[in-house]
Amino acid sequence: MDLWVHLALFVLLAIPIVVLGAFYSELDDKAALASIPRKMAVFLFSCGLLTAVMLFCEHTFASVN
Amino acid sequence: MAAANESRGSKGLNGKDPNLATLLTWLVPGAGHLYLGNFKFALFAFLVVDGIFLLGFTLSGGATVEFLDPELRGRFALALTPEAGNLGGLLWILNETGFPNIPITPRAWPTWVMEGGILTALAGLLNILVMVRVNLDARTTPEQRRRTLSPTLAAGLTWLIPGLGHLLQGRRLRAFVIFALLVGAFAAGTFLAEGSNLSRERHFYYWSGQFFLGLPSLLTEIISGRPPVTGPIRSVDAGLTFGCIAGLLNILAMLDAFRFGEAEVLGERTIDSEPRRPSVAEVQS
Repeated sequence: MDLWVHLALFVLLAIPIVVLGAFYSELDDKAALASIPRKMAVFLFSCGLLTAVMLFCEHTFASVN
Repeated sequence: MAAANESRGSKGLNGKDPNLATLLTWLVPGAGHLYLGNFKFALFAFLVVDGIFLLGFTLSGGATVEFLDPELRGRFALALTPEAGNLGGLLWILNETGFPNIPITPRAWPTWVMEGGILTALAGLLNILVMVRVNLDARTTPEQRRRTLSPTLAAGLTWLIPGLGHLLQGRRLRAFVIFALLVGAFAAGTFLAEGSNLSRERHFYYWSGQFFLGLPSLLTEIISGRPPVTGPIRSVDAGLTFGCIAGLLNILAMLDAFRFGEAEVLGERTIDSEPRRPSVAEVQS
């Protein structure tokens, strides 16, 4: 599958993950909804960082070249 | 710490230990309520949970565990299934089927194996709810619990239809958002996987996660008749992930519904901007 389709599906699935996480951490709906943009940014950045680490490890330890 | 625990109602009443009551229920449905002295509910929980479990086990002939690929059949492989919520039932399955050492011999599945598998999973989920209830019952008085919609019922209704527990708690926006996101994610997953996610036989563990989405996933599975796979499915991995994550996130929604109800029962203010609503009993007095 195309890389961009993968990324689009990942961002799509990140929405319920982040929103449910926000609802679980905040009992007040307004506060939960207001925290979503920041939580979304943190989630996407963290996943990007993890991907970079995994790619680095793959290139360093698992490359056949 | 002790004061904090007391204010959260984590200590038992009448010298009864909530954690012991929960553990007993995990082993035998209703045993925790028997320990608390609530014989009627203990008998009710035992008959309902183990009745559903035995019906499911009889219909499936215990063959559900054979859906798991032989290379994945470890000693604790079934710990990640909904059946693990009913430990007594899970041990029964292990004893009756000899799992994980089941001989690999091709045979036809029993006619009702899928429905039987759903029922044994349902028994596990119901016992989790009984465990949650007995823990709360051990910490609170009947008067406290009458203040609001039962937190256990709210969690159970949220399993049945994502957001329903929140709706009945008066949190309409949250209910709508949870329903739309989780059912939407499941629908997208089913579309991407071309319906191949709707079979426990095909995807044992993904199905276990998806089971926690309740009626939307189970009704889709039953109504669709579990469509056969006739060729390669391009986005099957993404579809399975969407369906499974939707179910797992509903567990978070169930916990949220329970926590909100628990705070009401314990008389804590649940939302800073909204003081706790008075109960029917408080209004009448």
